[in-house]
Amino acid sequence: MAVVSLDRLSKQYTAGGDFAVREVSLAVADGEFMILLGPSGCGKTSVLRMIAGLEPITSGAVSIDGRIMNQVPARDRDIAMVFQSYALYPHMSVRDNLAFGLRRRNVSPTEVARRVHQVAGRLGLLPLLARKPHALSGGQRQRVALGRAIIRQPKVFLFDEPLSNLDAALRVGTRAEISRQQREIGTTTIYVTHDQAEAMTIGHRICIMNAGEVMQIGAPMDVYRSPANAFVARFLGNPPMNLLPAMLEPGGDHARVHLAGMMFDLQQWPVGGLQAHLNREVTLGIRPEDLYENPTAPMPRLRVHVRAIEPLGAETILLLAAGEQHHELVARVGRETSFRIGEWRDIAFDLGAVHLFDASSGMAVSRPAV
Amino acid sequence: MRPMQFWLSYVRRTPLLLFLLAYTVLTGGPFLWVAAMSLRTTSEIFANPYGLPRHPHWANFVDAWVGSNYSTYFWNSSLVVVSAVAGVTVIGAMAAHCLARYRFRSRRMIRFVILSGLVLPPQMLILSLFQILLDYQLYDTLPGLSIVYIATQLGMTIYLLEGFFSQIPQDLFDAARMDGYSDFEIFWRITLPIGVPAIFTTVILNFVILWNEFLYAVVLMTSDDKRTLPLGIMHFMGDHQLDVAMLATGLMIAIIPIALIYACFSETMIRGMTAGAVR
Amino acid sequence: MPQPAIGVRLPRAVAPRPQSSIDVWQPSPATLALFLGPAILVFAGFTAYPVLRTFYNSLYLVGPKGASGFVGLHNFSQVLRADPVFWTAVRNTAIFTLVGTPLDVFGGLLLALCLFAGVPFARSLRVIWFLPVLMSYVVVGIIWVWIYDYDWGALNLLLHAIGLGRLEHSWLGDPATALWAVMAAHLWKWLGFNMIVFLAALHALPGDVLGAAELDNCGWIAKTIYIIIPMLRPTLVNLLVLSFIGKMMIFDLVWIMTQGGPLWSTETVSTYVYKRAFDWNTFDLGYPSAIAVLWFIIIIAFVIVISWLLRQRDQLEF
Repeated sequence: MAVVSLDRLSKQYTAGGDFAVREVSLAVADGEFMILLGPSGCGKTSVLRMIAGLEPITSGAVSIDGRIMNQVPARDRDIAMVFQSYALYPHMSVRDNLAFGLRRRNVSPTEVARRVHQVAGRLGLLPLLARKPHALSGGQRQRVALGRAIIRQPKVFLFDEPLSNLDAALRVGTRAEISRQQREIGTTTIYVTHDQAEAMTIGHRICIMNAGEVMQIGAPMDVYRSPANAFVARFLGNPPMNLLPAMLEPGGDHARVHLAGMMFDLQQWPVGGLQAHLNREVTLGIRPEDLYENPTAPMPRLRVHVRAIEPLGAETILLLAAGEQHHELVARVGRETSFRIGEWRDIAFDLGAVHLFDASSGMAVSRPAV
Repeated sequence: MRPMQFWLSYVRRTPLLLFLLAYTVLTGGPFLWVAAMSLRTTSEIFANPYGLPRHPHWANFVDAWVGSNYSTYFWNSSLVVVSAVAGVTVIGAMAAHCLARYRFRSRRMIRFVILSGLVLPPQMLILSLFQILLDYQLYDTLPGLSIVYIATQLGMTIYLLEGFFSQIPQDLFDAARMDGYSDFEIFWRITLPIGVPAIFTTVILNFVILWNEFLYAVVLMTSDDKRTLPLGIMHFMGDHQLDVAMLATGLMIAIIPIALIYACFSETMIRGMTAGAVR
Repeated sequence: MPQPAIGVRLPRAVAPRPQSSIDVWQPSPATLALFLGPAILVFAGFTAYPVLRTFYNSLYLVGPKGASGFVGLHNFSQVLRADPVFWTAVRNTAIFTLVGTPLDVFGGLLLALCLFAGVPFARSLRVIWFLPVLMSYVVVGIIWVWIYDYDWGALNLLLHAIGLGRLEHSWLGDPATALWAVMAAHLWKWLGFNMIVFLAALHALPGDVLGAAELDNCGWIAKTIYIIIPMLRPTLVNLLVLSFIGKMMIFDLVWIMTQGGPLWSTETVSTYVYKRAFDWNTFDLGYPSAIAVLWFIIIIAFVIVISWLLRQRDQLEF
């Protein structure tokens, strides 16, 4: 149980080259499940490996419980890691894989046996103890990798995309399992993934990264509801948030937005705090679930051309095009729809759920307080 | 703390570095020494065996070439090796293609038999080959040795090429079939062009192995004008043990072609010769 | 509008083809003859037939005009019971192989591990270390004959220079040291090969497993013993077998350096076969053929036993 903090951590793989990780600062509380989320190549695995001590740090500091770990070798950091490839010792049985770390730390044989039995029981590995990794299925190997980390009772768990090699069905079950284990054991955990569904469901907080930098840190629903920039807005949510170019104008005491050839009043956006953005291009964001075919309350509508319809059974995805420029719009509506391909129809959208982003920097424009 | 770390890692590694340096000297040194000796006279060498040539005696090479018959040995080696390599490449590539691509009943057995030739000790063959070549008037002839060389290298060549050819995606061949290519055209137009890297590797490997080959040559050749280079040098060694300079020159004549090929293709050669042993 | 369900089988429009439908990848006899023919011919004539003939010869007295008298297993019993030179050769070859093979292979492993620990220039230096492997035994042999020379050889000069002058020897002339001298030269040629193979195998090890070992409190030594060497086992076995076979058949180097002398101290089975066949007062190819056959059987037996003993009980899949 520990507090992990990263202070302006940076990584260059070649001297004078690009920064794979740039000034990442993060504080993980004791017992927290922190997720590092981002697309491939965003630097999240580099960050994880630097925390583990498997990758030298270019600048900045990694601290655990207040103690700076930069010069401490990996094996003295009291950290356990579950690798994407599981990294099981192929020539050892499951039992030896689990016991290896403990034996190397001179834990007494009786204690080793006890812990092996306990962890194996916990993860359903008891019948597999004598087998070697090549005789195990992917899911079983994953559990052994997990067991190997748990058995050491370290201060911090690190996970490097542990589910990406599993098939979809197994993934859902296993991620629930990991979440449950973590809650029971209560160890501080840092978990890297590129799958936003995973991040949303199992983390206490997520840290979204892109191109080596931190985009936003926060609880999953907070980040979902209030993305700090256009990148985060589109990264979370499936289908992703629609982003459309629009023009922000003053309209009395609130702003108005010129979108797809039409003008809408943004009642909840007082002009007062928006000086910097008035009469300028902005990016308007609206999530597919905030577009309605048959709204229950009166809502403004947008004229759209129906491009494609994807009936998914429980819901229907509509691919639409709005306005003269045919801006792509994705909507998520109910089980059945009256829309047909090729038609020109009106789709309602919830003005209260609109997000605004600066057109050039992508940073979110926060709604000024009334 | 940073600079200290830096120095410490060097200090820790110094014994290792020294050791490796020593090993490098031990491995490469002798060749430099032979090269130096090849450019000196024998009396110079005996006076100071490890010195550098005062005036490079390029004449040594001319003498060896013309006077001591090394030119003959060199040409013999060249003829035999080039023809053998050409032969084994053609025959081996065709056989490898056939084994890799087609399905037929005796395929596994033929593969097994040809590959088992790889573990055959030469002693099982030399005595009988001696008799056979004598019987067919091929004893002490360059063509005779060449054919024997083809036979000795066939197993390895087929092994390497079949391994490579069988990894060419079957789809290419099925498509060619549907386009109406004949068997030979498929070999000529698909397997060969795609297999060039592997074929190239086997050519180089075979060349090096046969250029250096000694045992078969010693058994199957006797007359001086038919000797290959290794034999020639040995013979010279037997007669003129003390003419160290001339011997060194002869060694250089044997080393230089290999060294040249190695200089150009070191990666290919290293990988080609060691890949089979890595599991 | 409901779409028609996809997945309905259309009825076969065409009747099934008659018996003579060809598997396109079944070769015609002409194709087989073209592609495989030359190889089979060469193999049959210059590999298979000679082997069979050697077996045949071993049962006969074989003079200049060919097999002359059937002697059955007489040659074999002579070899095994009445030939002290044969047994000396066997002893020498056995020492050469049983000492040389571990030195060769484990020496290469050690060097590779040292390199793997992170020494710069490893890639460029290995080009130099591989050189002896490429050189003819003639080159290697003569170089080492010169190194071992009593008067001006590098070895004696070196010993003298560091004050161990009393250890100076006629390395190849003294029956007590000759075999070891030849072994050293052989090692010099092949160490680089094993080292490079091991280096390649080390680089092929999955980095994550080594990382996991780090986190499991393994320093370099523990990593090597518990993780690296067990994972290198297939390569290790491969190289041991290769080295073993090569040393059991050693001829070239011995012939060039000492011809089996002095006093049979470096006589190996293969040099003895050669001498019996071509360097003996009586010309008989049957006797040396018997020796060759005997030795072949012994080598095969050893290889089978070693491979079986060292076999991987399960695969090392990674």
